[in-house]
Amino acid sequence: MIYKVISKTEFRKFIDALVKHNTAYGPRAVDTGKDGKPIYQFMPVTSADEIDFDYTVTHSSAKHLFLPYRDELSRFRFNDEDWEQEVRYEAPPLILIGLRPCDINAINILDEVMLHGPYPSPYYLARRKNTFIIGMDHLPLPDCFCKSMNRHTVNHGFNLFCSDIGDKYYLSINSSKAYTFLKEFMLEEPSYEDNCLLIERRKTIKQSFTTNIEVTGLPVFLDIEFDSPIWQKWGDKCLSCGSCAMVCPTCYCYSVEERFDVDLKGSSRQNHLYSCNLIDFAQVAGGHNFRPRNGDRLKYRYYHHYRGFAANDNQQICVGCNRCGRACLADINPKDVINDLRLERESCMICVSPSPDRT
Amino acid sequence: MHDMRFTLPGQDLNREPFALKPPDFQKKCEVMITDRGYKCRLTNIVTISSQEKLFLLRIINPQERELFNFRPGQFLMLEVPGYGEAPISISSDNSNHEFIEICIRKAGHVTSAMFEAKQGAVVSIRGPFGTAFPMEAMEGSNVLLVAGGLGIAPVRAPLYWIGNHRDRYKNVYLLYGAKEPSQLLFSYQFEEWKKVSKVELMTIVENPDASWAGRTGMITELFNDFSFDAKKTFAIVCGPPVMFKFVCNYLDGKGIPMNRMFVSLERRMHCGMGKCCRCMVGSTFTCLDGPVFDYWSVMNLKEAI
Amino acid sequence: MNHLGFKIDKVKIASFDFTCCEGCQLQLANKESTLPAFLGLLDIRNFREISSERYDDYDIALIEGSITRSDEIERLKAIRAQAKVLVAFGSCACFGGVNSLKNKIPGEEAVRGVYGDKTVQTMPSTKISDIVPVDLMIPGCPVSKAEVERIIVGVVTRAPNNLPKYPVCVDCKQKLNTCLFDLGEVCLGPVTKAGCDAVCPTGKTVCLGCRGPADDMNFPSFIQIVKEKGLSLDEMHEKLAFYNGFADFLDHES
Ligand SMILES: Cc1cc2nc3c(=O)[nH]c(=O)nc-3n(C[C@H](O)[C@H](O)[C@H](O)COP(=O)(O)OP(=O)(O)OC[C@H]3O[C@@H](n4cnc5c(N)ncnc54)[C@H](O)[C@@H]3O)c2cc1C
Ligand code: SF4
Ligand code: SF4
Ligand code: SF4
Ligand code: SF4
Ligand code: SF4
Ligand code: FES
Repeated sequence: MIYKVISKTEFRKFIDALVKHNTAYGPRAVDTGKDGKPIYQFMPVTSADEIDFDYTVTHSSAKHLFLPYRDELSRFRFNDEDWEQEVRYEAPPLILIGLRPCDINAINILDEVMLHGPYPSPYYLARRKNTFIIGMDHLPLPDCFCKSMNRHTVNHGFNLFCSDIGDKYYLSINSSKAYTFLKEFMLEEPSYEDNCLLIERRKTIKQSFTTNIEVTGLPVFLDIEFDSPIWQKWGDKCLSCGSCAMVCPTCYCYSVEERFDVDLKGSSRQNHLYSCNLIDFAQVAGGHNFRPRNGDRLKYRYYHHYRGFAANDNQQICVGCNRCGRACLADINPKDVINDLRLERESCMICVSPSPDRT
Repeated sequence: MHDMRFTLPGQDLNREPFALKPPDFQKKCEVMITDRGYKCRLTNIVTISSQEKLFLLRIINPQERELFNFRPGQFLMLEVPGYGEAPISISSDNSNHEFIEICIRKAGHVTSAMFEAKQGAVVSIRGPFGTAFPMEAMEGSNVLLVAGGLGIAPVRAPLYWIGNHRDRYKNVYLLYGAKEPSQLLFSYQFEEWKKVSKVELMTIVENPDASWAGRTGMITELFNDFSFDAKKTFAIVCGPPVMFKFVCNYLDGKGIPMNRMFVSLERRMHCGMGKCCRCMVGSTFTCLDGPVFDYWSVMNLKEAI
Repeated sequence: MNHLGFKIDKVKIASFDFTCCEGCQLQLANKESTLPAFLGLLDIRNFREISSERYDDYDIALIEGSITRSDEIERLKAIRAQAKVLVAFGSCACFGGVNSLKNKIPGEEAVRGVYGDKTVQTMPSTKISDIVPVDLMIPGCPVSKAEVERIIVGVVTRAPNNLPKYPVCVDCKQKLNTCLFDLGEVCLGPVTKAGCDAVCPTGKTVCLGCRGPADDMNFPSFIQIVKEKGLSLDEMHEKLAFYNGFADFLDHES
């Protein structure tokens, strides 16, 4: 890692040059909400002026640029009784600007899941390798809880990371590609003062978190609480609409469908990002559904996020961005659900008498 | 101005020929064919009941045919172009590299298309995937195979294995139950299993018809007919979840340790590679850590039964 | 075509309209790049919008529109007797559709309102499945061309296609739309069956539920949400009643 500082005006020039020559995505305001605040999304950008560098948070994550909502896995071409299969892992180079530390951590988690198992995904790998990531720090929103998940800082998984230190950005350059690009622009060595500002900035960010969730011991807790009535309570509110999983930066599960072309000369196998909240996620042939109730499915999503699966070393995959909470119409969010679960347990511990005396 | 377009190492990836590189399913490797199957020809199709057909597959490319090595209990992803993929247990002798046998019940898209397919048609398979029955660990012991209905399909693979290495095992029992006599599959192999593989075969049906002279009732009834040394016995139980729950609980009572009973779980599967999450039981992937689990693990998995 | 050793034949198809705007049938005849390929799958026996020939030996019958007159019942039963696969085509056929709006006012009043003092025979707008068994439903107002193609291809290739079971929100989120609830509107996306690619919210108009309820959707919670957000329940009811797709839920509620 190489550290430099760059003035904000020079940085804009750099970004401008970069996005003019490449396919790029950055945060843009797409709407104004009921509360008068802008709603942001990662959108295609062609000049620095289109990017809202001081955005708060995007409504959806950037995961679909690595795991498209719908993607063709392979194609079959029929010729009479035989057929040919065509598999392509093509990914055009892409620049992604303005990812938050939690977003980059989310991509690192996806790397773990997609690339480090026994069957690495070439589709993901191609996209991941061809994406140039520029991260930017920010002051947390009142409902962000990435600090609780320990995902509020990031030290790998990006090409360039910018910390806002007033009228300059403090740059962490993490790839030679980024360094080569930046050579064309006016960079400075960080001064003593810049270093102080950076530390100050990090401290401010750390101290600005207002939402905290106690996650220590949560995996065991979730195992114990598997049959808790809490799940049905929240499940009754859940619309099984999958919005939470669609906006989440680390939900990655999918469905595979195959379709004939209309001319019947071939077919296409596609994957489609899905969600364990959707009714038929665990339905098998014959119609049996292993998770028939809303509560079973909602629980499952929490189970995956806060207990983790064996495949990625039982790591928790939630990064604490609270996108799911913001997107949920029923106001189901990790903070309330987890607190409720803990509360239930604690009140239960109080009324349970200590172990009976041995006689 | 410097040219700002860039190519990262990943770009070369797109140019790499993936075509005939054999997948290395044991080792971790950076890039492999995850989506290309082995082309197979349906060399024979046998209707074995009103609901089930047996298919003989032959991998067309000789090199790939040699590479396809499986162990009893593993499954493959069967691709029927145009219709999709389905996980299917391998139901054949793993020493036979020429043909792969699978037994299919008509249930949905893919399975119905297989029912329509004619001899000579070309499909493809990916795999083998999943865990296997620990046949080596069972050596020197009795083996109790319990199959209910279509559960006989995965049980045939260990049966063939035992037949090939009969001297390594003590008494081998096969308990096989079905709803109706006509649903007892592979009856044409019963004699072979008894005489050649020296397997003690017991069958039972729930709803007998006029022609049925054998035992009637639930599969656990058969346990009254013989006795075995539970301490020196391994069990393989395949069938619907209710059945293996009953059978395993019974065997537990008889004294077979839970980690010596093996079951094969069935879940919805869309990838077979631990990615799509459809096959999760508790925090475990059925496609990677299963489908074969010992009963102790099954008992400890959330939502397993 | 001879795929997997079995022949895939054209299907003999006919289309019949009852009380409706014929918008759904027109949707099929729309000129698009896939039209020739699509027509290639069909042996058209009776289809007013596409061909002038009339035969009665069809296997698949597309039924468009709802039933509003007693003579239509006989015609429908005759079609059912001939067709191997009867498809309710469009929201009117599936649920009663927009025509059902008149069910809320007494019959004579509706007739007087539309036809003045002429005597016209009418009955409440009824969905097809209330009269004869339906094999497949293709909801939508109008139907989505892509979905029709998918389903017909499924019939031709003998791989019946299921409609998605999940609600419109999934597709809407995948399009990165801003949720219309965030803009202060009542959208029926969370309770409506997906499959239309969320065209309405993508165009910034609320979903009116033309595809009917999603499988096992959570109606009580949806009402609760509308209440809690301080949005108008009347408006919600009006929308739910629009295509008559939610009749079972609304009856239940009152
Ligand atoms: C490890 C493993 C081993 C297996 N081994 C075997 C085996 O040896 N032999 C065997 O026969 N099976 C086996 N199965 C089961 C087999 O995988 C399923 O039967 C198969 O996936 C069905 O696929 P399909 O495409 O035919 O069904 P799909 O069409 O994909 O059906 C899948 C789902 O859609 C639903 N569905 C299907 N059609 C309709 C419809 N018309 N209307 C409404 N819903 C519908 C089903 O209820 C089901 O939930 C195994 C499964 C596993 C996990
Ligand atoms: S938790 Fe909320 S967003 Fe997620 S499925 Fe349930 S209602 Fe939809
Ligand atoms: S939590 Fe549910 S929706 Fe998210 S990746 Fe896991 S299985 Fe899929
Ligand atoms: S579960 Fe919610 S808070 Fe956690 S990463 Fe996903 S969207 Fe963010
Ligand atoms: S706009 Fe409608 S369909 Fe889209 S997410 Fe919101 S409620 Fe769902
Ligand atoms: S968004 Fe709603 S109203 Fe619009 S086409 Fe889809 S289902 Fe129909
Ligand atoms: S089948 Fe996809 S994760 Fe197991």
